[in-house]
Parts: sequence; structure tokens; C-alpha cells
Amino acid sequence: MKKKFRIYMPFVNAGMQETTTYRANWIFLMIGNVLGCFVSYFIWKAVFISGNNENMNGFTMPQMVVYIFLMFLTSTLISSGGTYDIGEEIRDGSIAMRIIKPISYNSTFLFQELGNKFMTVCILIVPLVVGVEAVRCIFTGSVQFNIFNFLMYILSCVFAYLINFFFNICFGFIAFIIKYLWGANMMKNCIVGFLSGATIPLSFLPDTLERVFLILPFASLNYTPVMIYMGMYSGVSMIYYLALQLFWVLTFWGLSKLLWNVSIKHLTVQGG
Amino acid sequence: MRQIKRMLRMHKIFVAQELKRMMEYKGDFIVGIIGFLFAQCTNMLFLWIIFRQIPSLMGWTLNQVVFIYGFSLIPKGIDHLLFDNLWAIGHWTVRKGDFDKYLTRPVNTLFHVMVERLQIDALGELIMGIALICITLPSVAIQWSLLKILLIIAVIPFATLIYTGIKIATAAIAFWTKRSGNITFMFYMVNDFAKYPVSIYNNAVRFIITYIIPFAFTAYYPAEYILTGNNPLFNIGLTIVISLILMVIGIFVWNKGIRAYESAGS
Amino acid sequence: MIYVENLRKEFKKTIKEPGVLGSFKSLFHPKTEKIVAVNDISFNVPEGEILGFIGPNGAGKSTVIKMLTGILTPTSGKCTINGRNPNENRKSYVKEIGVVFGQRTQLWWDLPLRETYAVLKEIYEVPDDKYHKRMAFLNEILDLEKFITSPVRTLSLGQRMRADIAASLLHSPKVLFLDEPTIGLDVVVKDNIRNAVDYINKQEKTTVILTTHDLADIELLAKRIVMIDKGSNVFDGTISELKSKYGQIRELHFDTDTENVKDILSYKEHFDFNDEDITVETEGSSVKVRFNSEAVPVSDMLSYTLGKINIKDISVKDADIEEIIRRLYKQGV
Repeated sequence: MKKKFRIYMPFVNAGMQETTTYRANWIFLMIGNVLGCFVSYFIWKAVFISGNNENMNGFTMPQMVVYIFLMFLTSTLISSGGTYDIGEEIRDGSIAMRIIKPISYNSTFLFQELGNKFMTVCILIVPLVVGVEAVRCIFTGSVQFNIFNFLMYILSCVFAYLINFFFNICFGFIAFIIKYLWGANMMKNCIVGFLSGATIPLSFLPDTLERVFLILPFASLNYTPVMIYMGMYSGVSMIYYLALQLFWVLTFWGLSKLLWNVSIKHLTVQGG
Repeated sequence: MRQIKRMLRMHKIFVAQELKRMMEYKGDFIVGIIGFLFAQCTNMLFLWIIFRQIPSLMGWTLNQVVFIYGFSLIPKGIDHLLFDNLWAIGHWTVRKGDFDKYLTRPVNTLFHVMVERLQIDALGELIMGIALICITLPSVAIQWSLLKILLIIAVIPFATLIYTGIKIATAAIAFWTKRSGNITFMFYMVNDFAKYPVSIYNNAVRFIITYIIPFAFTAYYPAEYILTGNNPLFNIGLTIVISLILMVIGIFVWNKGIRAYESAGS
Repeated sequence: MIYVENLRKEFKKTIKEPGVLGSFKSLFHPKTEKIVAVNDISFNVPEGEILGFIGPNGAGKSTVIKMLTGILTPTSGKCTINGRNPNENRKSYVKEIGVVFGQRTQLWWDLPLRETYAVLKEIYEVPDDKYHKRMAFLNEILDLEKFITSPVRTLSLGQRMRADIAASLLHSPKVLFLDEPTIGLDVVVKDNIRNAVDYINKQEKTTVILTTHDLADIELLAKRIVMIDKGSNVFDGTISELKSKYGQIRELHFDTDTENVKDILSYKEHFDFNDEDITVETEGSSVKVRFNSEAVPVSDMLSYTLGKINIKDISVKDADIEEIIRRLYKQGV
């Protein structure tokens, strides 16, 4: 196990180097995303001012602020770029090269991304969590930070990342059908964004829709970790949603393996 | 004059090439257009869900908000359709050293880059923008006059140039930093502010999107003029002035950047 | 035609620091260092000449070419091509030059090849009648006919390179820059390209600057070579000058039935050669001896060898240019 891990260390390192090489680019990406959060913030503020209720579908204004920024943090933590990499390889045929490599390509990719992610986590998590807690503290008058919820949040994010990682790899295989991955990916991101609660909390949807969406894998991506952090899932329901996440991790992991085997067959039959 | 004629001729040639390319990849273009249509649809869904909870957004009705949103897609879509190749400059053209090509051709580099590609995906935005305007138009009660119609037609190309100018300036940063795609992205996130009525923002944000990164002039201010007929001098006049200023800045930064361009080792 | 004086180019490079801590440090405080890619290079090329521009990887060849073509601005120094400075009035300057970067293509990737020429015709403002004549001519020398209707992305490397060279010649440039035009090509395509360049040079008096790692290109095309290393001039002269300056190397080839020739002959001990001045290779009965004829005259070598062993067939050759260059690269001069 230790030896296996050592093989992948260079990839973790490479991922971190990548972030630093284009550091300015990375910083601007983050600023851009934070600006997006502020757009949401102002819209929600206007919504709460225009509505008469303090509480909308279980959310108060401060909770909504917390929700928006946690959504941003979570999306960044669990983001994964597998779709393009697989898709590109399918397009130029280099996916065949994976067969002859002595180490698992998926894992090298995973570790490289983790290296990248490590930098992101270190830089973002502290200011965002502190900021979110400050907002909660100001509005409620007491410290709301719950270490148990926070740890469960991290665990839930790990699950969510794995779901996303394998889901994106599965989606990348769509390149066998659609050449223009960018357009397909755009469509996917919008649908996932909506179904995962990144656009709007799922509790704002009509009841039946909400119930269906909660079971779909997309809610396991962003919505579940955020709800856990905010203390909206606790006890049995927390266990239920974590188990659901685990179920989706395994499902997509299996599916990616299956697609991989099918595509290899496809390649060997067609000769690349 | 001869210069302009030549530019138009070249633009025509490039567009023709792009259409030929499109015919080779029909499926891809349909996917792209649908992708962008979808992106707008989820935003509409968002607005619709919000308005189920509230009668109006700080005095703006759903129809008015959607109208402003729809109008914002028109200049954005035109710029996206015609000048999208600028994104590539900041993302990879400079980094990979492929910019060399433009420098060995007897054509203005900026012009060459701008017209080389046609981004058909943008039709998704344009279709949606026009559709939203058409749907909401009967219910937003606009007082029409000939002057107003003329001003609206005149303002759209200038609103487009606000996008183009900002894109040129931010893409050109790549000549120094090798990669600036995300700077462009950052500015584009600011433009999301402009899709909604500015009155929902606090003074600081309002000031920024009016005077610092003036995206409010690509959508809200012209749309406000259409809806209310107020302040044509500010809403329309300033849009034109600002777009010209941004284009000048863009071209200036671009020309400076070309001199700093370092190519890439091969 | 081309005058290059004291050309110099510096780049800034970010230094990466190792480890996690280093990654963080360079995220916020990148360290940079100045790199001199080209340091004081001078040469000139008369009209109608083909100049071979050589040097090991990373010597600065491409950087020089990029400065000559106006892509990069020199840090200091001057280059004048056809009486003009590449960085002034770029648009009219590039109309007079053609450029091929072997590692990149300027063709429109997704479209049939002929579309590229149609666009370039507009870009370079080639009139219709001239364009048709030119295309026919290029077709003839580069044999484009077979693939001119295929999308560029489906072309083989050899076809693509021929297409790229044709693209650079469409507007009948006075100067042609070829940066590794034969890289990765097979022998037949290489020949085709060399012949085409030679033909264009003879027919149209086109001045050509050619960088390559294939010295056969140089021997077949260039009369003169400029060699650089680590950003500085190392050699400037004709190929025969290069040979006479560094080429006191001779090769002695012979067949023998004597065994253990190496031990019997032991040139090194007998003539007291330096290490780098002599090599002996044997393969079956044939022996190849490479030696510095300044240290020991050819006649001495011959009589010594003939006296020591039984020889069937013997010949003496000049070392080929490849060997000379190999020695130059190794020594770094």
C-alpha cells in the first residue's frame, strides 16, 4: 500500500506545481467564482426584502448567505476535470495508450488532481469557513460552529468528490458519440448545477420534485455536504444521506469500470 | 477606405470558411447551441421559482426582470458569435506559442484573431434572448416612438463593443503572463450582475458595474431606457461613450502586449 | 540581403521551488531569473544564398529565427532584412518573407487543404491570375494534387509539411525561413522537400535560412553554415572551410585477415595520440580508423599500418560533416 502510494506521489507534486505555475490564473478563477456568489447574494437579499416572510422554505436570509458561500466552497472542493481528459483521449485515439501503461491511469489522474486540490483547500477553506461562521455569529449572537458537523462535512465532501470524479469519467465516454465535448459539457454542467442545488436550494422546488431530486446522484454532490454543515441533516437522516452518497460512489465507480472495458473492446475490435 | 474594404473582404472569407467547417461538424454545432440554450433555461427556471415566492423583486415584475435578462443576451450573444476567438488567446494560443502564426501574416493581428472564428454556440444565447424579449414584450407596456426604435438599434452594436473591448484587453494580458483566460472569466462573472435590475445592489456594486467595469451598460441601462424611456442621455449616450473608451483601451493594451510577446520555446 | 549585428535576447523565467512549501511560496512570491537565449550573434547572408543555421538543441536557433521574422523583438542588436527592420512596419515586411516552423502548422486544421490557400491568397493579396500560376507551379514541385481536397487533419506528416512549405511560398517571398522543415520525415519526402527548396532558390533567387538537425539537408542545400551554441556564434563559413578548419580528421578504411588488429596496431601508444584524436572500430574483417591528421600525417599512418599487418583493400577519406559537427557539439568549442 505504501509502495503503491509512493508511485503516485510525483503526480500529487505535479498537480501542485501546475497550480503555482499559473498562479495568477488560478487566483482570478477564484475571484471570478466569488463574484458569482455575490451576484447570488444580492438577488437573494432582494428576494428576502421583497417577500414578507423571515423564513423561506426553511431558509432565513443569514442561512441563505451561508448556503451560497458553502455551495461555492463545496463545488470547488469536489470539482473534477475528468471529462475533458478522457474525451480528448478518445478523440485523438491516445486512449489506447492507457492499456500499455504499467500504472492505472485513472489513479494518476486522481492523484494529480488531489495535488491541485490540496493547494485549493489550504488556501480557501480557512477564510471561507471563518467568514461563514462570522456571518452566523453576527446574526444569531452565538458561535454556531459544530466540529462534528464540520468533520462530517469533510467526509461528505470526500464522497461527493469521488462521485463527481467517476461521474465525469463516465460522462467523458460520451465523446464516442458527441465530438464536441465542450457543448455537451456545458449542457451537463447546467443540468448538474440545477439538480445539485447549486443554482437554488432544492427545498424551494415543488415537493414531489424535491423528493425525486434528493434521491438522484446530483444532490449527493453539493447539496448533502452543505446541508450537513448547516446542521439541517442530523441523526438518522445524516446517516441516510451519507449512505446514499456511498451508494452512488460505488455505482459510478462500477459504471466507469464497465464503460472502460466496453470501450477497450470497442478499440481493439475497431483497431483504434 | 481601401483598408476597410479589404477588412470586410477578409471577414467575408473567414466567415465563409467557418460555415464550411460548420457543415463538416453539424452535430457538434447543434450540441453547442442546445448547450447554451440549456444554460439560459436553468436561469429562467431559477427566476420562475423565485417569483413563486414573491410578488415582485423590489418593484420589478417577473416580466420586466426577464425582459432585462433577455436584452442582456443580445449584445453578449453577438460578441460571442463574432469575436469569441479572443478567449482562445488567453487560454492557450499564446501559451503554446501558436500566436507566432498571426505575426508572420501581413494582416493586423487583432483583426485577424477576432474574425478568424465564428462561434455558432452563441446562437443559443441569441435565440433565447430574442425569445424572452418577444414573450415579455406584450406585458411590459412600452411606449414606442421612432426615436426610441432608432436609439435601440443604434445602441446594440455599442453594447456589444463593451464586451469586445474588455475581452481584447483581458486577452492581451496573456502576452505578459502567458495565460489570462481566467481574467476574462472574472470580468465575465461581473457581467452576471448586469443581467438583473441594478436597484437590487448596494451602492458599491452599483458604482463598480457602472463606472469601473461598466457591464451595466451592456444590459440594464439600455433595457431601462426601453422600459421606461427615462434618461436617454445617460442610458444610451453613456453606453456609446463607454464602449468607445473600452475599445481604445483594449487596442492600446493589445498593441503594447504584442511587443512584450515572448513566443514559446520549441 | 540579411544583416544581423550583435543580436541579443533575454527572457525572464520563473524558478520553481521544490516541495509543498516551495509550491506555496511561488504561488505568492514567484522568483524570476534572467535567461540569455541569444547572446551577441552576428552574420549576414547575400541575396540568393541558402544558409544552413545549425546548433545543438537549446542553442537559440529558433529564437534567432523568431527575431528575424519579427515575432520577437530583440533585447538589443539589429537585424536588417532586405533593407528593413522586421519590427517596424510588420505588415508590409512579412509580405516579403515566407516562414515554416516544422513543429507547427499554419494550415486550417478542419478544412480541405485548398481552402487554406484560398484564404492565404486573400491575406497576402495575391491577384487571381498570379495565384493560379503559382498554385500550378507549387503543385508541380511539391506534388500537392493528390491531397489538396483532403481535410488538413487527415494529412500525413510528409504531406502536411509539403503543404506548409507551399503555403509559405504562395506569395513569392524574397526570403524564406525554414525552421526544421524535415523533422520526422522519411527519406523520400525529405528528398522531395530538398529538391523543391533547391529549385525555388535557383529559379527565383530566393534567399533561404534553414535550421535543421539533419546535416544531409545542409550538405545538399547550403553553401555556407552558421553554427551557434549557447546563444553565441561558433562558426561562420562555407562547408569546405569548416572541413579545413576542424576537419583534419581522416578516416582510414581497410580489410584485413589478421586477428586482434587493435592490439597489434596500438596506434595510440605508437604515435602518442591524444584520446580524442583517434578511434578504431572493427566489424568482422573491416576496420575503420579515425584520426587527426595534424597530429600524425596520413602518409605515416599508411606506411605504419601497411607494415604491421596484412591488408587487402585500403582507402583514405575526409571525415564527413556530421562527424565534425558531432565533435564541435561535444567540445562546445
